[in-house]
Amino acid sequence: MPAIDLPPAGEPADGLAAVVALRRLADRMEDAEVERAMRSGWTWPEVAEALGVTRQAVHKKHAKRLIAAGVTLRRRS
Amino acid sequence: MTSPFAGPIRLLVSSAEAEARTERSDSIEAEHLLLALAAQQGTPAQRVLQGAGLDQQAIRSALSAEFERSLAGAGVSLPGGRVPSSSPDLTRKPRIGASAKWALHRAVVAAKARKASKLEPLHVLIGVLSAEVGTVPRSLDVAGVGRDELLARAESAFTTG
Repeated sequence: MPAIDLPPAGEPADGLAAVVALRRLADRMEDAEVERAMRSGWTWPEVAEALGVTRQAVHKKHAKRLIAAGVTLRRRS
Repeated sequence: MTSPFAGPIRLLVSSAEAEARTERSDSIEAEHLLLALAAQQGTPAQRVLQGAGLDQQAIRSALSAEFERSLAGAGVSLPGGRVPSSSPDLTRKPRIGASAKWALHRAVVAAKARKASKLEPLHVLIGVLSAEVGTVPRSLDVAGVGRDELLARAESAFTTG
């Protein structure tokens, strides 16, 4: 497996800020990618398994937003 | 002080909450308080920020630049410099995050030190600017704004109005 080249370690403040930024990016990506999957006809169980979380967790976090956005949600595969 | 989060501060936190929601954030952080302070036209806090060239747009640009720089520190760059977009969650109720709690705590300390009868936006600005590490000081640094100087201006705004 090829190694991921991380930039040379800088100051601790830079490393910690990178953690904050990556978390924020991951949250934003989750919102976008869950929406994309559900718009493409994925089911909650499929999205949950792909993310490695429970169906209840993904539903609780995203259902209201997607319903408000007019996304047609599939309940079963 | 009776209720520190009454009146203008309640409005400020509510405005910061709207900023957090717009940004799809689950929590209200210090940077959202800063954006809310910059939006309160005509307040001493807004004038201090404006004096350093920090209107809402400038703060958003600085936050965005800091975000990209911090991601770059982990070897990550955004395609087209943009975060993936998604539909907003208008029902989301962001909680007060740790950095905002610290900022508000420092604001209360600053108000008590001045024997103020109530918490004012300027106290909150001092609370936000007093953080030495985190997103706000890093963003100010990216924008080329001296945090110490800005903090001193905020402190002196109590006497000059």
